[in-house]
Parts: sequence; C-alpha cells; structure tokens
Amino acid sequence: MTEGRKVAKETFEEALAQLEEVVAKLEDENVGLEEAIKLFERGVKLARRCREQLSAVERRVEQLLAEAPEGGEPQTAPFVPEEG
Amino acid sequence: MSAQIFGVGELIRQVNAALAGAFSGVWVRGELSGVKIAGSGHRYFQIKDAEGTLSCAMWAARADRLRFKLTDGLAVLLYGSLEVYPQRGSLQLIVAEVRPEGIGELQLAFEQLKAKLEGEGLFARERKRPMPALPLRVGVVTSPSGAAIRDVLKVLSRWERLAVLLAPVRVQGRGAEGEIAQALGRLGRAGLVDVILLVRGGGSLEDLWAFNEEMVARAIAASPVPVISGVGHEVDVSIADFVADIRAATPTQAAELVVAQLERQERHVAEQFLHLTTALQRRLERLRLRLEVLAGARGLSRVPARLRALDERLTRLAALAPLLRRVVTVRHRRLDGLVSRLYRWPVRFGAPRRRELVTARLSVAAERLRSLVQRRALLLAGAERTLAALSPVAVLQRGYSITWNEGCETPLRSPSETSAGSRLRTRLAGGEIRSLVLGGGGVQGSLFDAPDDRCGEEEAQG
Repeated sequence: MTEGRKVAKETFEEALAQLEEVVAKLEDENVGLEEAIKLFERGVKLARRCREQLSAVERRVEQLLAEAPEGGEPQTAPFVPEEG
Repeated sequence: MSAQIFGVGELIRQVNAALAGAFSGVWVRGELSGVKIAGSGHRYFQIKDAEGTLSCAMWAARADRLRFKLTDGLAVLLYGSLEVYPQRGSLQLIVAEVRPEGIGELQLAFEQLKAKLEGEGLFARERKRPMPALPLRVGVVTSPSGAAIRDVLKVLSRWERLAVLLAPVRVQGRGAEGEIAQALGRLGRAGLVDVILLVRGGGSLEDLWAFNEEMVARAIAASPVPVISGVGHEVDVSIADFVADIRAATPTQAAELVVAQLERQERHVAEQFLHLTTALQRRLERLRLRLEVLAGARGLSRVPARLRALDERLTRLAALAPLLRRVVTVRHRRLDGLVSRLYRWPVRFGAPRRRELVTARLSVAAERLRSLVQRRALLLAGAERTLAALSPVAVLQRGYSITWNEGCETPLRSPSETSAGSRLRTRLAGGEIRSLVLGGGGVQGSLFDAPDDRCGEEEAQG
C-alpha cells in the first residue's frame, strides 16, 4: 500500500512534466496536424491524471498508537481534537 | 602548654571540619578555565578572577543535569563547599550548582547548542529538502490536546482530500524531547507520510524548551521525510527551526505551506491545460486559413480524400468537447469552492483574483474550443463540397500537374519522396510526360501543410 502511494506520487510529477512537454510540442508550429491532435488528446489524459493525483488520498485524520510490536505495522486510530 | 602534634590526614580532617563550618555553601564569582571531563564524567576546572585561582570539582550526577556546557572563559557564579583534597593537600570547591552570569541559563544552552550544530553543518542550506511535490499525507508531531493541532487541522481541511496522521506527544516537561524525537523517527521511518509538521503553540522559553534539545534537533536532521517546524509565535526561534527543512513562524503557517503547495500544483495543472487548449485552437485557426487557400486554388482529387480524413479527425475532436466540458465543469466546482474559501482568507494571501482569472480563462477557452471545433466541422463540409465540384481535369487545364514516381500510385507531395536518378511520370492536361530527377530533395513539408511558394518549386522538378 505504501509502495503503491509512492508510485502514485511519482506519477504526478511525471505526468506534470509530460504534460508540460506535450504543451511545448503542441505550441511548436512545425508539428503536423494529426500529431497535434494526438498530442492534444494525450495532454487531456495527462491533465486528468494529474488532477486525479491531486486527490489521490482519502480524507482522514488519524493518530499513531503506541509503538507497534517489533517489525509490525504501526497502528493508527481515528483522531478527533478536543474542543477548546 | 604543649604543642599538639597531628598526623597529616588528621590535620586535613580537622581543617575540613573547620571549612565545613565556615565555607560549606558559598557563592563564588569568576571565570572558568581548564575545564576537563574525566572518564568518570566528573568535571574538573578552575575558577579565577584577577586576584586568585581556585580548583573546582563537579561530580557527574550534578554536572549532567546542566543544560549548558561548561566552557573556558564562561563567566559564572558557583555554589558549593570548600574542602582540602587529602591526597594532594590542595584546596578545592566541590561545586553543586553553576549559574551563567549576564545571560540566562537557557539562553546560554541555546547559544551553545546552536553553535555546536551549526559547526556540524546541520543548518546548512544544502541539507534542506524542498516541500514534496504532492504533500497529501501529512504527519503532525504535537500534543493531541493543544491549540496547535486544532490550528493545523483547521487549515489542512481547506484541501478536500488529505490524510493527516498525528503522532501524539507531550510538548513540554521533562522527557518531552524524547517523545518528540521518537515520534519523528516513527513517522519518518515507516514511510507513512510525505511531510512532517513539528508544531507547538506559544509559551515561555521554558515551555518551548523541548524544541531546543539536541535530541530533537538530531531527530529532525535524521528524518527521511522533510520536516516543517512551526513552534510558538512569530518571535520565537528554536533550534528545531534551524534544523527543520522548512521553518514556519507558527503551526497555522506550517499547515498553510502544505495547502499552498497543493494549490500551486493544482493551478499549475490548470494552466498547462489552458495552454494545451489554446495551442490546439491556434493550430485549428491556421488550418482554417490553409483550407480556404486550398479550396480556392486546388481541386486535385486526393485533396478531398485527405480532407475527409481530416474531417473524421475533427469529428473525433468534436466528440472530445463534451469531455472537455466535463473536465472544466468539475474544475469549476472545485475552484468555486476554493474561491469562496479564499474570500475568507486574509488579504495577504491575495490569491482569489488570480484563481478566478484562471477559472474564467479555462472555461472561456474550453467553450471557444468547442464552438471552434463545430464551426470547423461545418467549414470542412463546405470546403469538401466545393472541392468535389472542381474537376481535377479543370484544374489541370489551369496549368497544374500531378507527378508520381514511376510505378507508384501515390502522387508526390514533397521533393523528399523522390531522389536524384528516379524516374517520374507527370500528368498534364494534354497528356503524360516522363522525366528523370537531377536533384532536389531535402525540402521538408508537404503540399498540404505548406500550400505556398514551395508548390512551384516542387512542380518545377516534375
């Protein structure tokens, strides 16, 4: 799960970099029309992927519980702050 | 009266007894020199002033409780008891307490640790890691009951989807520094978060002391995850602030940095998307101009076919329009929410105008793209009808010709499609001629893409 998140995070930066690249190419007058349309479609997909990454985690507020057993996964529980 | 004769040890014992009566709890002012730490942990040094020097010893158990370090030249007040050290017969002060002079003890400890860590390069700019690209999983090290966590959660809730993981610790009192250091380690090690906020609300220097402990400084430096510090009020500076990758003035500001990064990235994507649509729009505009030129000047049979292919692509593009609209609508909703929240922000964030601008530009661009694509489709249909009506023969009559590589079905569109030595077949209105290519090639671009002066060049070779 942690690994998956890491991959997703890299995908955002990658997708954003690719999107910038696509935009730069599309702004180049020498690109043929068919290529331009392909670039546009690709850009739309990349932009969508970026936006998905921007909300890739579930909204939650948790707290870390006391030290997990040796080598075990850290335990968490929902956290609600006291009113004050 | 007979003189009393003492054994040496006995005499010293008697002297010490006398000293204990008169000098067991004295304050002495001076400057430290020759400070040494023995293997046992005991400290040995001298205190001196212009008129005298006195040997001192401070036992490890007491010395270890000092927050600052004993260093040569330090101006101090010492409290302790005088005694003669029997083995050497020398007078020494057994020190129970040391107070720095002219500076608070905490202040001194702060300065000493700061100098030490700075010397180790722990504050160096090169060590600082930037804010992660996407800080969506935010670790918070602070008290679960303080004002800081409430402030942080309030700000972080501005971003719709964000995972907060609190590592609850005591932020003051003895042992707090250990809890903080451990929490930093746990959050960072487990790869649970993208960034860590180390925060605490305001308090006295004593209250904030845990954030000036070496243990905490080292845990920050060792954290595999970037740490943002936000300790106390704006005026408070802690050692943690110096070591942290990013220093925020307050807990609220620390959280704001995270949200600002996410908003910046969102804006960045939106802007790139806008560039994408305007670039295609410009491209379609150029295409329209070319089609008009072509429709007026050319009736070659392959052009309508090519236009049909283009028309299909543009139809597909037109089908993209609803998707674009959806994309924009979703963005719109999100941005609307953000804009309304931003209105409640203090003026110094100044973002709402810009955000509105991006939103407006984005939706205008998408709308224009959509109508452009539709207009283009209509125009293409018209252009195609016009072109179909023009007989290729009629065009040839006007002096145009079509050239093929011998044995090929596809007409030549660019000098690069043939080469010196190739045989060509050219269709004129009155019949065909055959020819041999002497040279050329290397000129890029097709008839269709550049229906301008290059056409003449190409046909001259035919």
